[in-house]
Amino acid sequence: MPEKPIPEKDPIVTKSLAPHYVVSMVILMATLFWALWDEDFGQRPWKTFQHEWKSRYSAFLKTARTESAESQKEVENSPDYQKLKEDYEAASKDAEPRINELREKLREVGAKILAVQDGPGHFTDRRAYVTAATYDIETTSSPSSKQSKQRDLEAYKAKPSTVEMPDGKAQTFKNFDELEEAYNEFKNERTQLSTELGEMLKPVTEKKELMDSYLTDHMVSLTASQLLNLQNSVESLTPAIRQINVNEHAANLEREDSAQIVDRCESCHLGIREPVNITAAAMSLPGKKPDEYAQAFTSHPSPDLLKIHDPEKFGCSPCHQGNGRATTSVEKAHGTYEHWLWPIFRPENYEAGCQICHSADMVLVSNDVGWVVSEGKDLFRQRGCMGCHRYEGYDKEPEDLLSIGQEIKLLEQEKKDNLKQADDFMAQADKAATNEEANRLNDRAVALKVENSKVDLRIMQLDRTTKSLFQDMKKVGPNLKDVRLKLNKNWIPVWLNKPTDFRPTTKMPNFRLNDEQVKAISAYVWQSGLTDALPKHKPGNAAHGQELFETRGCLACHSIGEGDQIQGGTFAANLTRVGEKANYDYLVRWVHNARERTRPYCPYEKKDIGPEDYQKKGLPFVFDLDHSKCPNDGHELQVQNMTVMPSLRLSETDAEDIASYLITLKKKNPSEYADASFMDDPNLKEEGKRWVRFFGCFGCHEISGLEDEGRIGTELTTEGSKPVERLDFALLTEVAQRGGKEPITDPEDLARLPEGPAKEPWYDHKGFFEHKLAEPNIWDLGKIKPPAEQMRMPNLHLTKEQVRALTTFLLGSQENPLPPSYQYRPLDYRKDIQEGWWVVKKYNCMGCHQLIPGQKTILMGLARYRDAQEQLPPKLLTEGARVDPQWLLGFLKNPALNDKDTNRNGIRTYLQVRMPTFSFSENELGKLVRFFQALSRQPFPYIPEEVPVLTAKETEMARSLFSSTAAPCLKCHATGDPGHDRTATAPNFLQARGRLKPDWMEQWMLDPQAISPGTSMPSGLFKRQNNHWVFSGPTPPSFQGYDKDHTRLLVDYILQLTPEEQRRVAASMGRASARSSSGSRAGSASGQGGHGAGK
Amino acid sequence: MKMKTWMTTLGMPALCGLVLFAGCGGKKEETAEQPAAAPAAAPAPTPIDPATAATVSGTVKFDGPAPAATKIDMSQDPACKGTNTAEAVVASGGHLANVFVYVKDGLGNRTFEIPKEAATLDQSGCKYHPHVMGVMAGQDVKIVNSDPTTHNIHPTPKDNREWNESQPPQSAPLDKNFAREEILLPVKCNQHPWMKMYINVVKNPFYAVTGPDGKFEIKGLPPGEYTLAFVHEKLGEKDEKVILAAKDNKTVDETFKP
Repeated sequence: MPEKPIPEKDPIVTKSLAPHYVVSMVILMATLFWALWDEDFGQRPWKTFQHEWKSRYSAFLKTARTESAESQKEVENSPDYQKLKEDYEAASKDAEPRINELREKLREVGAKILAVQDGPGHFTDRRAYVTAATYDIETTSSPSSKQSKQRDLEAYKAKPSTVEMPDGKAQTFKNFDELEEAYNEFKNERTQLSTELGEMLKPVTEKKELMDSYLTDHMVSLTASQLLNLQNSVESLTPAIRQINVNEHAANLEREDSAQIVDRCESCHLGIREPVNITAAAMSLPGKKPDEYAQAFTSHPSPDLLKIHDPEKFGCSPCHQGNGRATTSVEKAHGTYEHWLWPIFRPENYEAGCQICHSADMVLVSNDVGWVVSEGKDLFRQRGCMGCHRYEGYDKEPEDLLSIGQEIKLLEQEKKDNLKQADDFMAQADKAATNEEANRLNDRAVALKVENSKVDLRIMQLDRTTKSLFQDMKKVGPNLKDVRLKLNKNWIPVWLNKPTDFRPTTKMPNFRLNDEQVKAISAYVWQSGLTDALPKHKPGNAAHGQELFETRGCLACHSIGEGDQIQGGTFAANLTRVGEKANYDYLVRWVHNARERTRPYCPYEKKDIGPEDYQKKGLPFVFDLDHSKCPNDGHELQVQNMTVMPSLRLSETDAEDIASYLITLKKKNPSEYADASFMDDPNLKEEGKRWVRFFGCFGCHEISGLEDEGRIGTELTTEGSKPVERLDFALLTEVAQRGGKEPITDPEDLARLPEGPAKEPWYDHKGFFEHKLAEPNIWDLGKIKPPAEQMRMPNLHLTKEQVRALTTFLLGSQENPLPPSYQYRPLDYRKDIQEGWWVVKKYNCMGCHQLIPGQKTILMGLARYRDAQEQLPPKLLTEGARVDPQWLLGFLKNPALNDKDTNRNGIRTYLQVRMPTFSFSENELGKLVRFFQALSRQPFPYIPEEVPVLTAKETEMARSLFSSTAAPCLKCHATGDPGHDRTATAPNFLQARGRLKPDWMEQWMLDPQAISPGTSMPSGLFKRQNNHWVFSGPTPPSFQGYDKDHTRLLVDYILQLTPEEQRRVAASMGRASARSSSGSRAGSASGQGGHGAGK
Repeated sequence: MKMKTWMTTLGMPALCGLVLFAGCGGKKEETAEQPAAAPAAAPAPTPIDPATAATVSGTVKFDGPAPAATKIDMSQDPACKGTNTAEAVVASGGHLANVFVYVKDGLGNRTFEIPKEAATLDQSGCKYHPHVMGVMAGQDVKIVNSDPTTHNIHPTPKDNREWNESQPPQSAPLDKNFAREEILLPVKCNQHPWMKMYINVVKNPFYAVTGPDGKFEIKGLPPGEYTLAFVHEKLGEKDEKVILAAKDNKTVDETFKP
């Protein structure tokens, strides 16, 4: 075999692979290092956060410490602190000698004990021997060896012990017993000494504690030493994931109530729970704007919220959303990536998180105002969203009626069954073989009959509830059965075309109707209306009507004026052009009593019952809350208009005056409206009905023939947790995902977007809700559809703020990820508060009354009351503590507190503004009374305390206070004397009994400003002296030696006040001659009191 | 911590940029410095050189028929003696009283010492004296009751805290102050509905109230360009610009119309 010639260029010899290896090795090494880096930092961005935190926070604490040391010095230099310090020093100085003595003695005794106790042949040693020997004796079975062992033990015990005492001397104890006795004595002595030392130290430590707590109480931030502790703990921080297991203790995968939420948010948000206030600015690097670290390190903006929602229990994501487990990037943790369904709530919608657990609350916080989500919840009702969309908790009455109806049916069946069975038993009993058997069967029959009585009573109770529910059922819009009686016919199509053109602030949304739809709908509504005749009224005095309108409180709900001239509330309609649409006679009836119906409605027969039905049964055509049974079948009737508008208890003349004024409010004459006789065309009626049904008008209005229609919209109770794919962005999906051009082009609708035109992708719940609310038919964009397939949701012409509030509310409308126990459904007094707010908001109580400190009522905003605050309705901040609930119940039923003379206020007769009669149902009355009691944390039911009867001397003393020139009570309080009451600004004392709670009265006298801020009643009438409240003004000599509270005396006196006594006192104050002076006062400036001064 | 040390040792000889980067990440903590300290307490008053101080004075006129003063009927309280008239617009001979004049703008960030002496508000004849007064924010207001009847003093401010205290006859004066600037802060007595006055709380000592002759004078102003505001409870506010040189003595008149 010839050898192959070696090629000249043998690759093995000539080519080196080294570069390849080097490159590979470098790549390999690089990969290795990258992997190591990624493991340590790439996958753990939170570590960098923690390093940054460590340096920035400890630097922050260092500065804070210097500042704190300064302010601490200031506090320490204050006289109070110095006094405490002196006390402490004096106490410790006094106690010092004895304490030192005791300590010395204790040391000595301790040494003695040690000496006796330890060492060979000493107490412990010998006791061990004795115990062992005794045990041995006890366990030995033979009596002889027992005896011998006993002898050995005695001998051992008799041996003496020599102990070297601490003072160096040796002491001999004769035997074991003597040694034991000595030992026990020493121990007793030590116990005594320790107790005494404790006693001596106690006052000293107490003083020290007083001193320290004074310091912490008076420091704005933490003390320097507290800050130092914080700093030490920050500096010894090692990077670690910080996590919260929500519901950790119940974390059991099989259990339904396990939340399985793990929040690691605090791995980056390290400052959230720190006890100092950390701002982003304080966490920024010097001279730089706050970076992402600074933003992340701030402390929670509302520590108060964290106090009641302990993060250890609630975690973070249940309120804020986001992916609490994720740690690999900020986007993942915040859940702002496509694979996480519920991204973190944006700051403007933070309060959505509250709704998740607080869905049962109408008002989230009972002592704070300005909650966006509460506003959203209120809007959802006020704007009639619930008319089309079911939402749990809203408008429950129809559902409750249904379930009660079913319950009644079941109970009636039960009754029948019981009756039948009882008959059977009795029949059997009659034929029974023995008397025992017969008695047994008869007893069972009797039991069933008793049972039936209970069922009967239960049914009666349910009937009452039914009645309540009928009363509670309200509609957002007016009753359209009355259109023919109420409206200018030609106005209807104009209104339907675009309600906001006529009344920009109306609740009625714009339905984008075309001409055919407008014609058909108005024709249906017109032709289905009732045609009964209305009683005719004479024209009234419009000027007087205007005065009544402006003073009786109508403006707390209604508004008047247009544009920036608008005055009054947004709760009810703006009446600026009401004269163009309304019929005078109907207006009179409405103003007099808006609840008055033309005909009652029977839900059972599904028809409006007329005089003919009553006539058939020979009954007068009378229906009201006391006559609410259907003449045909005895079922409960709807006897009221389903409006929240109350009765102001005006006389018919007053109602005529107001209506006469209202009818003058117009921009053009009703006759100028174009003729709309097409509304009588019967051919349009069916088509109209179709459109009414299509648009769901009956959601807000009562419409003939459509009383039982269901809601036409989607249920929204858990809309916020719908996966985003199930929200139909239609042809805008791409645009929303990519963040293209804003699809809304209408400038008015564009202005409704809370964040303005979209700049970033908005393919999420927030984007969907905001766009939908701003322009409800936006998802029809680019589609060609026949009218009957177009989107039905009308344009609610909301403001930007309203869209934000509703969006916040909807975002939080979620299936709760937390266990049911986390839902805020309290069962104690807080439940009463929760339920009460729904009623309070339903009737707009807050338009007139302040229920939350700082809350502005509508009336407060009116120019009329700016300088006459004493003419405003009372603030109800402590109402539950103020009045007897039983009294309140009666007052709410009839605020005139009088069955005959009703055209007035019951308590504050001097107020022009009128507390109306709301005709609350039993159900709502109960809720309101319980609400006020609960809000003031008062026990319910209330048992009035006994008022002691005053002696003649006490009465005399109390009278001197009552009529003192230093506290002239009757100057401002009404007395029932018309001349005087013209200038009164406070209620009559004679009404206190049975109404006011004595404890509250006392509190009120002491500091009225703290109960009703801004009240006319001045503070400083009493002062604290020798642990008692005494009158600030001069007191007669009879008070000498009187050591009880003067306030209490006055309260007891007022509660016993008689009309005669009040007259006497008033006369003695030189102001009784009302008859003579009232005439001269009538026309004078002072006669006007405060009101009217602001005109 | 161990992991990092180990990494750093390994990383050093490898000359890998990545490692350097990682190393840097861990070192940041040493470079952080103290955050900016919070601002200190209230600054000391800005000194004004009395040698350059200027004065501005003038007369406020009322262009129109002086409204007749309506008499107030005080028979409601027999202890209210004397006569009393509603003093909403007090004008005589075309001069308007009770106009509050103050430097509204132009003093920049200057701060001023709060006067130690209290401003006195007296109640006598069931009437406030004066009817319009000015104080500096934080300055004490001493409220005296010279009447043989009880009054209650009830300011109803917009931006300050509201209170309402009773003051029996012959009782000690009340010492109060208002922390925040507020023009036309109404004060009333609930027991005598006609009793009403206005306190003007300002941040500088340059203010005056016109007398019955409509005259006012503001002294001690440092040279500068100022906005003078004339405020009347019923007639509203009017502003005037004025430029003051050192030791200037300028006249600024103002006319209100009914």
